Amino acid sequence: MGNFIFEQIINGVITGSMYALVAAGMTMIFGVLRAINFAHGEYYMAGTFAAWYVIEKLAVPYLVAIILGVAIAALIAAIIGRLVMQRLVGSPFQAGVLATIGISLILQNAVILAFGGGYKVFEGGWIEPVEFFGIGMAQQRIVLIVAAVAIFAALEWMVRKTRMGKAIRAVSQNIECCQVNGIDVESVVRRTFLLGTALAALSGILTAPVNVSVYGGMGESITLKTFAVIVMGGMGNVRGTLVAGMLLGVVESLVSGLIGLQYRDSVGFIALLLMLMLRPHGLFSQKARF
Amino acid sequence: MAITLDTPHAPSPRLPAVRWGAAGTALVALALAPLVLDSYYLHALIIAMIFLLPAHGLNLILGYTGMLSLAQGVFFGLGAYASALLSMHFGTPFVVNLFAAAGIAALIALPLGIPALRLRTTSFVMCTLGFVVIAQMVAKNWTDLTRGDMGLSGIARPKLAIPGLGDATIAITQIPHYFYLILAVALLATLAFVALIRSPAGRCMVAIRDNETLAESLGIPTWSYKLIVFMLSAAFAGLGGSLYAHYETVVSPLVFQMYYSNTILIIVLGGGVGRVPGAIIGSFLFVAVTEALRVTPELRMIIYGFVLLVLVFMFPQGIAPLLERATEWLSRLGGKTDANAEKQA
Repeated sequence: MGNFIFEQIINGVITGSMYALVAAGMTMIFGVLRAINFAHGEYYMAGTFAAWYVIEKLAVPYLVAIILGVAIAALIAAIIGRLVMQRLVGSPFQAGVLATIGISLILQNAVILAFGGGYKVFEGGWIEPVEFFGIGMAQQRIVLIVAAVAIFAALEWMVRKTRMGKAIRAVSQNIECCQVNGIDVESVVRRTFLLGTALAALSGILTAPVNVSVYGGMGESITLKTFAVIVMGGMGNVRGTLVAGMLLGVVESLVSGLIGLQYRDSVGFIALLLMLMLRPHGLFSQKARF
Repeated sequence: MAITLDTPHAPSPRLPAVRWGAAGTALVALALAPLVLDSYYLHALIIAMIFLLPAHGLNLILGYTGMLSLAQGVFFGLGAYASALLSMHFGTPFVVNLFAAAGIAALIALPLGIPALRLRTTSFVMCTLGFVVIAQMVAKNWTDLTRGDMGLSGIARPKLAIPGLGDATIAITQIPHYFYLILAVALLATLAFVALIRSPAGRCMVAIRDNETLAESLGIPTWSYKLIVFMLSAAFAGLGGSLYAHYETVVSPLVFQMYYSNTILIIVLGGGVGRVPGAIIGSFLFVAVTEALRVTPELRMIIYGFVLLVLVFMFPQGIAPLLERATEWLSRLGGKTDANAEKQA
């Protein structure tokens, strides 16, 4: 039993790394735009679909598929960033909600129209099992968790040290001040959006070999779980999302192992509702920064 | 996207007449529709009228109280399930189911609204989206009640008792019968909606939308108002769900898909939020037309997505203001010719 719970916790940490990666992007976009990206999961889906497509049609190795998948998703995000997201600077919250719901409808249904609504099998990835603390697990899971830790370290460095990171922090704090000081807010918004969606796409492609199935509607549930993670982490708080993502992953995994698989997906929403009611500023923040 | 209404500048005295005329003409045209349209087009109109009910609900909560709720689909589905279960287990008549569906939706909205309405802006939207997912989960997993993914089928078709004729009933089985039944319900609901927003309570709601703090300082019990509006919007959606269940005779967890909430959102925003004709025009334009053209659900959602983007960036007030301007122009045109006639005389 102890071993079983340990296994569930490890699995939860791995799923949680994926949630954290997706949510880090969404929370950064929220930081600069003050808008929740209701289409965030669709970039996760688009990246995964792109990788699936190049593996199926061009028979490229998985590593190349990761690069191509992220590149295709980033291309879509670059177009949407320019046409839609940068216009949301300074607009009321409803504009952001409605515009991103619109994008989510377009992306999700365009993929379903083009490739059909059925489940596809993602063939690729490093799925050889290895022994790890007495638990056999696929290499892919280790790749995922290492990638998540590395990416969070890089994000932390980027946000603290680089010019781009400083611009992101500045825009998150005060848009008007940035405009007065000659920071190109729209360009920061576009680049943050691109970075955030690319993280979502990467996370989707890295998780695909574990989840195996790929389908057009897969982004919707990811978007909703990401809400739970960013609210738990504190909206706009990148470090908080890492902990919150892991937490959600572990609790989901324990619930599905101990209570029943069908209750797994409700954990996120119950967490979301409880957080919104009780601690709307997140588990870590003392008060809202935004 | 601002949802404040621009106050009409010095409307022409003939304006109400022109608008009532337009509404009357539309109603007569609808009433005569079964004589000329075949049943597929009638079906499209029926679906549009069913969607009009939850759309009124969303218009009430978004247009008149300023809260963007994605949970209308939840209450629509609840109404459908409530009607289906009542008619299957207790054999209750249609009219009872209709009101029970509205009542049950409103009652369930109460415990959901108490926590949700404490939230504002995006948090409220996320919370209502959470309700959609929880509703899907319950409908799929509470198999004793809902039979899960199999859904409930064989829901009784409506039978209406004729007043004064004792036990005689009319069974509604044909599409044209359904059309008149649903037209009647939609019309009554629309009239009730108009009465509500023109009442002092309606003005209080607008006050809450425009400035909640000010409204509260003037002694409007804003919290009770918001809760009651949330419940009323659920009741409207429940009515629509009940009609849907009795029309389709099948209910499955698919009624809790985002498809329904999104469609209701497009109807209200596209038509023109905070305007009664808005929801009506929206439901015919976005539901009847796409249904009649047999647009596949995926393509329809893509169109809705583009419509949302166009609305947000170009027509934040929807289509209704354009039509309002047209009616205003018509009434002024009439006024001018009158004035000219007077001059000549």
